Formats: sequence, structure tokens, C-alpha cells
Amino acid sequence: MAHSPRKGSPARWAAVILPPLCLGGLLAWTADIFSPAAISPSHFMQRFHNAGAPGDGFRRAHAKGMCTTGWFDPSPEGRALSRSGIFRGEHLPVMGRFSLAPPLPYLPDNPAVARSLSMQIRSPSGDDWRLALVDAPLQSMRDIADAYAFFGAAKLDPATHRPDPVAVQAYAAQRPWLKTAFAQAKAHKQTSDLTNDTYNSLDSFILTDEAGKKTAVRWAAVAQEPFSPADGSGANDGNYLFKRLVQTLDQRPLRWDIVATVARKGDPVNDSSQPWDNADQKVTVGTVTFTKAYSEDESPCGPMVFDPTILPDGISASDDPLLALRSSVYMRSYATRSAEHKAPSMVTPGDVASPTLTQDEKGQ
Amino acid sequence: MSFPQNTGHATPFPRLSILLHWVMAVLIIVMLFVGLVMAHDSTIHYAGLFTLHRTVGFLLLLLVVIRLVNRFANHTPALPMDMPGPMKLAAHFSHILLYGFMIALPLVGWAMLSAGGYPITLWGGCHIPPLMGFHPHLWGVLRCLHSLLAYGLILLILAHIGAALLHGIIRRDGVMGSMLGR
Repeated sequence: MAHSPRKGSPARWAAVILPPLCLGGLLAWTADIFSPAAISPSHFMQRFHNAGAPGDGFRRAHAKGMCTTGWFDPSPEGRALSRSGIFRGEHLPVMGRFSLAPPLPYLPDNPAVARSLSMQIRSPSGDDWRLALVDAPLQSMRDIADAYAFFGAAKLDPATHRPDPVAVQAYAAQRPWLKTAFAQAKAHKQTSDLTNDTYNSLDSFILTDEAGKKTAVRWAAVAQEPFSPADGSGANDGNYLFKRLVQTLDQRPLRWDIVATVARKGDPVNDSSQPWDNADQKVTVGTVTFTKAYSEDESPCGPMVFDPTILPDGISASDDPLLALRSSVYMRSYATRSAEHKAPSMVTPGDVASPTLTQDEKGQ
Repeated sequence: MSFPQNTGHATPFPRLSILLHWVMAVLIIVMLFVGLVMAHDSTIHYAGLFTLHRTVGFLLLLLVVIRLVNRFANHTPALPMDMPGPMKLAAHFSHILLYGFMIALPLVGWAMLSAGGYPITLWGGCHIPPLMGFHPHLWGVLRCLHSLLAYGLILLILAHIGAALLHGIIRRDGVMGSMLGR
């Protein structure tokens, strides 16, 4: 060697070491390494697990489901509200997933449980619109702290395999701002079937038209089938809701109008737990028609993520904090369950092929 | 080709190489911060950040291809002759790794979005085609790989900055200056 390595003063060595150390520290800080107490998607995964989500490749919430396919026909009214390519197309392919809201993939169908409908609508030019709707009238949480407490209260008691009713009541009692949401949930009349139910986005979205004008809306998929109250008939078959959906689709297509409720001044756009004015204008932006059913074990809708913030140009997320939370939690659930070996779904391909209801011994 | 002595006046890199290096350096650091925020914060609406991440990621993939062509087409200044063998080896190896990560990260990101069934939309609403069909199992693996590669790149960059400063401040052998255009 011609030269030995040169020596430097401590100050020079500091000038070598400190810059990368500072950058590394800043990156670590961005990754929340120094404040691990913050509520993260992993914390929510743990809460879903405590609330009965078994893993096994199932999504952590809305775990029991079935897939449908059909198309979306947009209306001129939709085109006027949003410049999205979705409303410029016709007869766009739709993939739907009907589900029960709890994190339990083997929950027997029953009239008390909330139901959901997720959809992916795509245009030939690559627009992709995902909707994740439930049949509750309002969200029973207003922000991330509420959501975290809500799923904490859903923890199953190991003895009863049910959530602790005291914890559930305490959740509502401690949150006077959710009074309307719980009152409306109580007054909500459940329909007899998945086929005649109405499903709501709860969260608000912002539509942008050709001129750049923005409109805040809430979505609802409103069934064209007539309302009929839930009476529990058929409940002796654990899949009666899904089987009856298949039976109906075997006979005729089923349609849902996609209705935008347009916000007026004063409607809370960033709080899905609060109602909007009853007199708000309602605009039907198109109609979804479903014609076929599949078990989620034989359809891409089974693994698909229905993150409601996956939106085409012309539709964007509002500043509702729950939309940001849903996106990050759905992403985490999707990554986790995709890596797991998937157990068979409760609604099997056999149930879809021959959707005969099981009768009980009383011959009901 | 190179100066025999480590006088602090080593041949500088060609202008295009210097430009590519610094433009990509800034973009990559921004991408690492944006990526960490997206992966660790549940409270922000990151649709805009996500579009930025996809757009800049795609841009970086194009830039690294240009840079790779430039690397072989244009000349690279030789390392000082008095640099110890293991140090030279470490320099060459770490540069190969840096190139590998710069190519792999955007490709894995693109593949991961494709496998997960995500629309791949860039600024201005332009869509780029998926690299593969819908493979949810692969999505989980690629998503994890994308994170690991990002953490690996962070460590490489920190080592790269440290090594550059070692050349510039302790050894004063002109290696750092060759990328500053001096």
C-alpha cells in the first residue's frame, strides 16, 4: 500500500457518521419506530382476532360471503355529477360480494345480523370503482378512536363465545355523539333477504364533474325488489340467506339502483355517524344487475380487496377519517389473509349449484 | 484514465451520470419517506400519496434503465489506486446491490399491484398495464418483498452516504468530488 488510511479528527468523523445517522433516524421516525403506542393496522388485526376472526385465509371482517357477477348501466344523471369514465361507459362488468358483517366466516345466517354488499365496477379504459356497502343506516363510530373501541368491545367472551353485553352497552353509553346512529340502527327494519336489502356507503365521497365542480355524496344500492320484513323463516338452514339469493338469481336477474344522496350545506361530510338532511336530493347514477352467483371459493371476489378508496378519476374519498382507516386496515387484512392457506367457505360451490334449503324435523 | 495519486482531483463523472445520480437520489429519498408513511400511518388519506408513489416509481424505473445504459456507454472514473482491496471490493459490490435494488423495487411494486388486482393509475389518470394477472397469494409475498427491499435500500443508501463522506472528509481522495462535478 502506498498510503496508510488517513486519520481524521473526531469532528471529521462526526461529519462522516452523523448525516447517515440523522437520515436513518428520520426514516425510522417516519415508520413510527419511536412511538409504537399509536393505533396501527396490526392493533386492529388483533382486535378482529379477539372478536372471533379465525384467520384461515378469511377476511378479518365481513368474513362470510358469496360472489355474484353482472353489469352496471350508468345514467345521464351520473354523467352530469362525475366526469368518471365509469359513467361514460355502458354495460360495464361488475363483480359483487354479498356478505354478513361480523368477522365470523361460519356464522349461521340469521335475521339479526348486519349484511353487506361490495362491488367492483370496471370500465374498458381501466377505471376501477370499488364500493363497500352495509345495510346499517349510519356508522356506529365517528373516528379511529371510536373504531378501535368498537372492535375492542366486540371481543368474544371465551365462556359464552359472544361479546360481553356490558362492554357493548358501555361503548354506546360513553358516546353521546352516537345516539342518533344507535337510535336509527334500532329503528331499522331488516328485510327478509339479501335480495331486497338496501346497502349504504355510510362514508361520503366527492364527485368531480367535467367543469371541476365538486359534489359530496353518500351512496346507496337500493334494491328494486319489494321490501318484505325479516321473520326468521328458513333460519333452520345456516345458509338460507345466500341460498335464497342463488335461487332468485336462477330465476331472474336482480337489480339495485345506485343512488347518490347529494349533500347540502350543513350536512356532515366527514362524519358517517351523523344523518344528513332528509330533504337532500337523491340522484340515481345507474343500475347494477346481477345474473350469476358463485361460491367465493371459485370466484376472484373471494380474495379480492374491496377498499372503498380505490376510486376512478372523478370520484374521490372525502376527509372522513374512517375512509383512511378502512383503506389501511383492509390492506393489512388483505396482505395477511393472502399469505394464509384458505379454509373452505361456508357457502360452498355445492350450495350454489343446488341451493335447496335444509328443512328441520318440524317440517318448517 | 485515472490519476495515479489520490490528490483529491480524481476524474469527475460525466455530466449525464452526475445529473442522473442526483435526480434519482432526491426522488428515491422522497419515495422512501412516502412509502413509510403509507405503510405505517392509518390516519391520513393517502390516495394522493399513493398516486405520487406510483408515478415517481414508474419514473424511477425509466430513469434506472437510462442510467444502466449510460453506465455501460459512458465511462466511470476508476477508484483511487491506493484504496485497499477489500474497500474496492465493497465499493463495487455495494454499487451492484444499489443498482439491483433500484431496478427491483419499482418492478416488484408494479408486479405487486398487478397481482393484487389494484388499478395502476398515474398522475393525470393515465393507467399502465398490469405486469401479471390477479394472483392474491403472490400479492401477499410481493407486498412483503417490496417492504424488505425498501428496508434493504435504506441501509444501502445510509452506507453509501457514509462511505461517500468517508472518501470526502477522511480520505480526501477525490471520490466524493467526482460525483459533485468537481
